[in-house]
Amino acid sequence: MVRVKENFFIYADPRKCLGCKNCELACAIAHADCDLQTAVTKGLQLQPRNLVVQVDDMVMPIQCRQCEDAPCALACPTGAIYQEDGFVKINEGNCIGCKVCTMVCPFGAISITKDINDNSNYRTKKAKARKCDLCFSRIQDNNEVSCACVEACPTKAIMLVDYESYRKKLIEERGKELVRAHTKTKV
Amino acid sequence: MSKMNKTIDPAVNYLLPLAKKAGLETAWDRYEAMQPQCGFGELGICCRICWKGPCRIDPFGNGPQRGVCGADAHTIVARNLSRMIVAGAAAHSEHGRHVALTLLEVGEGHAPAYQIKDEQKLRDIAEKLNLSPAGKDIKQVAKEVALASLEDFSRQKHSIPCNWAKETMSAERVDKLAKLGVMPHNIDAVITEIMGRTHVGCDADAVNVLLGGLKGALADYTGMYLSTELSDVLFGTPEPVVTAANLGVLKKDAVNIAVHGHNPLLSEIICDVALKMNEEAKKAGAKEGINIVGICCTGNEVMMRRGIPLATNYLSQELAIITGAVDAMVVDVQCIMPAITSLAECFHTQVITTMRENKITGATHIEFHEDSAFDSAKKIVEVAIDAFKRRDNRKVNIPDYKQTAIAGFSAEAIMAALSKVNAKDPLKPLIDNIVNGNIQGIALFAGCNNPQVTQDNNFITIAKELAKNNVLMLATGCGAGAFAKNGLMTQEATEAYAGDSLKAVLTAIGKAAGFNGPLPLVLHMGSCVDNTRAVKVAVAVADNLGVDLDKLPVVASAPEAMAEKAVAIGTWAVALGLPTHIGIVPQIMGSSVVAEFLTEKAKDLLGGYFIVETDPEKAADQLFTAIKERRKGLGI
Repeated sequence: MVRVKENFFIYADPRKCLGCKNCELACAIAHADCDLQTAVTKGLQLQPRNLVVQVDDMVMPIQCRQCEDAPCALACPTGAIYQEDGFVKINEGNCIGCKVCTMVCPFGAISITKDINDNSNYRTKKAKARKCDLCFSRIQDNNEVSCACVEACPTKAIMLVDYESYRKKLIEERGKELVRAHTKTKV
Repeated sequence: MSKMNKTIDPAVNYLLPLAKKAGLETAWDRYEAMQPQCGFGELGICCRICWKGPCRIDPFGNGPQRGVCGADAHTIVARNLSRMIVAGAAAHSEHGRHVALTLLEVGEGHAPAYQIKDEQKLRDIAEKLNLSPAGKDIKQVAKEVALASLEDFSRQKHSIPCNWAKETMSAERVDKLAKLGVMPHNIDAVITEIMGRTHVGCDADAVNVLLGGLKGALADYTGMYLSTELSDVLFGTPEPVVTAANLGVLKKDAVNIAVHGHNPLLSEIICDVALKMNEEAKKAGAKEGINIVGICCTGNEVMMRRGIPLATNYLSQELAIITGAVDAMVVDVQCIMPAITSLAECFHTQVITTMRENKITGATHIEFHEDSAFDSAKKIVEVAIDAFKRRDNRKVNIPDYKQTAIAGFSAEAIMAALSKVNAKDPLKPLIDNIVNGNIQGIALFAGCNNPQVTQDNNFITIAKELAKNNVLMLATGCGAGAFAKNGLMTQEATEAYAGDSLKAVLTAIGKAAGFNGPLPLVLHMGSCVDNTRAVKVAVAVADNLGVDLDKLPVVASAPEAMAEKAVAIGTWAVALGLPTHIGIVPQIMGSSVVAEFLTEKAKDLLGGYFIVETDPEKAADQLFTAIKERRKGLGI
């Protein structure tokens, strides 16, 4: 049987997040195929795929967790959202903007937005679902795994997590704690 | 960043790998660690003026479009920019005030270390300021000029413009600026006014805030102008001098003292004192005695007045310490990286701060006062000699790179050279050659270094391009440093890079003025506070032709700008009517209103405007296009 590796995902440490929103800017730019100055001078309205939210006194960037049993992929009536190569991918061409994915996403990580720069007069608004794709587009371009938000975070609060190594580290830490507790009780 | 070259300076390229090996950190390393830099800051749409903030405007229209108080991106960007301008104005005019106060002390006989070295210039200035100097004692003239200059810091009547602004521009320009309400009446008051009007809840109309910024920039102009001219009175007006530049000017067998910063008041005296203390240095084991070198604009000041070699410019100041051969780095004000003291800890180098208002943790502080300048200077040189005794020669790495540089082209020196061609009307040869197209136009390079671009590269690339197109070039500040270090202030550079007609003109003037060949390709006009020297030449040309500055084929460029002072200089260049290029994207792009005002609307209002272009070759094209446009306007 082929063993399936769990998806990578972005995780932010709320103790380190200063809420500067630099990750939002970086994300918007990464998905726009142009640099910040040009985007702003041309008046492009870019869309970040992440969102810095504040809950009580905690600040935390939220984006797609690349769920293994992704409710969005299950609910999508057109099959625009699907699992492939360790990502929950989205084919915006197939998306009809029905918003089911946003309703079922437990994190509120998907938004439906229209490309405002597209000014042509259509019969429909052509809004599409937008979500974090771990900078998949960038990976294809320069053949390196680097997520714009991770690079942009000035406090290194945002990490790209490989689930397997994350879990291994976690087990080791917990194991150490147990061992320590055990040896202490012996003494 | 890692893909970009850090510098084209061979001495820096030699030292950086050594620094890396030794684990020594430089500005380039810190720049890399700072990546990516905050996008909100880059666009200038972050407001930290009050404590309800920080507020940020979403540049893409999804999030907040106004700060807590309701200020939009345009207000925020305009306020931030105007505050930068007046910070620059404050720095320059504090420097100017210091020089003017010293001149007053000299006039009153209280500052024994200083003299009036250029009496004629002092009398000319007094004449310009309408002080009728004829027949008066020179000390009396000094006092009157100092007081008239200080009046530009204290006048309360808004309707009377600053002496130094009004008397140094063409009448038409003064009139235009006065009508716009941007003529400064008092440098200090204008700086205060702009801090006040950009306070929370005040001036919120972006264009009005920008007009305030223009006024601040003209206050900067005033402070700079008087600073340069009065420095010439005290220390002599620069004349062409052949010297050298780059880190190869440090000497293994000498006590190397680097003077760094901007203010000549102390460095001049250190040079005087060091000459007398050569024997003591030799006794301490330095076979060649004391070797003074300059860094940044203090370096430019002593370079053009005394021919003291320039070690390096802003971005590579740390590398001077990394050579292990600098025994003392004496710093005064502005553009001194606080990093130098932690680097100096790894060597025997003594960093010596000298101004009460500019201290750096880890430095030795030897305070400097005009009335006891000799004593401070002596103490400083003693500390340097003492440090030399502790120098570890195994750590010494002096790069074998230096270039000849001809410096010291003050406005007076340029006129003197021209008068060798035509004694009756010195400007005539210059104007004739501009009119007949042998010289297409004049470009003034100013400003800093910035790690966002390869050090010195923008300067050199643009200059070579413009030289080909027969544009006469002037340079100040770290731009002058870049040209000097990289060999463009030589006669050989003229031979190699100048277009045929420019080469012919530079050769004719150079030969007549006794240079045995052409003038250098780029003329060194001084430190960054000295940009007004170029204005002096331009105004003379404009007056001679009977047109305003905004008609002349004269452009300015700060291709590697960094400091608030550079923002102020660039803005007054625009206010005076010059197309002004900047090679770094300014932190204003978050407001279309501000960007459009500075790059387009300013043209209708003032004749001058900003050109933003990060690619040096394209920038050279655009500068030359601006020159051609002006020529067309004049019908030449």
